[in-house]
Amino acid sequence: MSAVMDFLTVFSQPQLLLLVGLGTFAGVYVGAIPGLSVTMAVSILISFTFSWDVYPAISLMIGIYMGGVYGGSRTAILLNIPGAPSAIATALDGYPMALRGEAGEAIGVTTVMSFIGGFIGIGVLALFAPLISDFALTFQPRDYMLLAILGILLVGSLSQGSLVKGIFAGALGIAIGAVGRDPLTFAERFTFDFQILEGGISFIAVMIGMFGVSEALAQLHHVDKDAVRQKISRIVPSLSTVKKHLPLSLQTSSIGVVIGALPGTGGDIAALMAYDHAKRVTKSPEREFGDGAMEGLVAPETANNAAVGGAFIPMMTLGIPGDAVTAIMIGALFIHGLNPGPMLMIDQPDMFWFIVGALVTANCFMLLFGLTGIKLFTRIVEMPRAVLIPLIMLLSIVGAYAVNNSISDVYWMLGFGVFGYFMRHYGYPLGPVILGVILSRLLDDNWRRAIISEREDLGRFFHGIVTSPLSLVLFAAVILIFVSQTPLWSEGKARVFGRKGEQQ
Amino acid sequence: MQHIDPEHHDGTSDATPGGASDQRRPGELVFAGLMLAVSLGLFWSAYGISGFEALSAPGSVPMATTVVMVLASLLVLLKTAKLPLDRSETLARDILPPAVVLFSLALAIYGILLKPLGFLPTSALFLILAIKFLARRGWVWTLTVSLGSLIVIWLIFRIVFSVLMPAGILPEAEFIQFFRDLFRAEGAQ
Repeated sequence: MSAVMDFLTVFSQPQLLLLVGLGTFAGVYVGAIPGLSVTMAVSILISFTFSWDVYPAISLMIGIYMGGVYGGSRTAILLNIPGAPSAIATALDGYPMALRGEAGEAIGVTTVMSFIGGFIGIGVLALFAPLISDFALTFQPRDYMLLAILGILLVGSLSQGSLVKGIFAGALGIAIGAVGRDPLTFAERFTFDFQILEGGISFIAVMIGMFGVSEALAQLHHVDKDAVRQKISRIVPSLSTVKKHLPLSLQTSSIGVVIGALPGTGGDIAALMAYDHAKRVTKSPEREFGDGAMEGLVAPETANNAAVGGAFIPMMTLGIPGDAVTAIMIGALFIHGLNPGPMLMIDQPDMFWFIVGALVTANCFMLLFGLTGIKLFTRIVEMPRAVLIPLIMLLSIVGAYAVNNSISDVYWMLGFGVFGYFMRHYGYPLGPVILGVILSRLLDDNWRRAIISEREDLGRFFHGIVTSPLSLVLFAAVILIFVSQTPLWSEGKARVFGRKGEQQ
Repeated sequence: MQHIDPEHHDGTSDATPGGASDQRRPGELVFAGLMLAVSLGLFWSAYGISGFEALSAPGSVPMATTVVMVLASLLVLLKTAKLPLDRSETLARDILPPAVVLFSLALAIYGILLKPLGFLPTSALFLILAIKFLARRGWVWTLTVSLGSLIVIWLIFRIVFSVLMPAGILPEAEFIQFFRDLFRAEGAQ
């Protein structure tokens, strides 16, 4: 019963309802404007909301998250520029539809499908997170350690980029997170005898630098691109269109939830996988994929919104982020003195049900704002990058400064911004860095707990892994990721699946 | 999975990191070498924390992670060295154009000026110069847009988020107090 009351917190307090609505509205535009991303917005917002109570702060962030994941589809359809990473696959069929003058229909279907996907994700979160958190109480420290490693590795292995670069980025993040005095023994780590490093590097500075300044610097390449105007007609889709694609949307939502729930991987990877899946299962599309197939729109858009709910599952039950945005939200909860994990679910279930309620609200607002306000939308998106880029930079600086009122945080932020800019250009993913920074403490603590409880004996440690089913599965998954990148794997795959396997 | 190449390989997403997979971009080899050097330096520093004292020592995880960094960056370096250089790109145009250098410098200068000059003057200076440089439009437009957005940002920060930025040379607090008094006086009447 109290769960229902906590679930309804958002509706009972007009202020929270307003913040979720405002966040969703802002999120749709943040997602839609190329150069502004959800990860950027949420990381800058942490520093502005840290003086607030935790509920209003989370309300705003959840709104932006939900709206932003959806908003990216708008510019993907209209301009062929994905406004957010999760909309990359949407552009493949959305833009061809817009070229045929079906932009309105494409946006309508996208909105409704995102809504459906969002609900499925939230439903799975509400159903399974309590079960998982009960189960999570039996997790050993070594399981947490393995989960953290798995999360950092998964991003690199499921993306199109190089796994080795992903591993490097993740390890770098762990090292950055370890800077400062060790909380257990007070030994200095990576401080190089600088007093300024003893307190560690503010993870907010790292986040804002990597996702704010580096993005703004990268956008300097595209200053002179003109905004394109599109005429948009009717956008509310017909019921028959929605019905026709419902079976596919259920499948792709499931892909979205699972990818979202895997530690580390979020909506951007889910959308690409769902698009691939749709291509495989749609036997006779009305139009070819890449040429304006409706299925190519339905799949990524359901999956990326379903991944939002999914990403909260490991975050709330284990304290391990489901993607980059939930990594930042864990940081926000830390700041508010909360420690996400199974104990939070048990001690403060109100927090969990509040988040579920806020997600549902944000999802409804998303549908509302998605189907209305299209005229205002086209105006805001035309904001020239020449103005946008300096503003992002200014906001990043204020955000980095505001948390600790410290100029050195601003320099860290700028340093990581420039570094992140180069990482982007040379194909190193940024997500694992943030995951590494957030998970560094958890990894370190749990490794030490695990090995101390095994009396510093590596043999006993591995014996423990092999004899516990859960640890064994996690360990096998970690090994599998490595094997899947070696030539041995593709050879074996080719042998098992014949030639078909090679094409993938 | 279908390979999707977003504009300009700048890696906005983790699903599609930037870079080129079959060619070496200008400066990539230097960056890879630098990463190896950094990793080796960090490994040395991690070894200095507690050496091989115990598996649960404070330096164990740092040492393990830096070993991973050294190995990963070595692999990347070897692989990058083998790739052919992308001759269609140049460092000055595709990786580090003058605008990026200029803006990095401007941001560093912003950081230096923020404390002594204060938030409002520094930001006004930065926005006016940056927007003028990027948009190349008339002074009236530049001043209106940059000062207008600065005022909006400042109002949101000060009022909604109550973020305190360095006041510097402008008597910001007195200014706010003046308006507060004004409203209070009106309310009293």
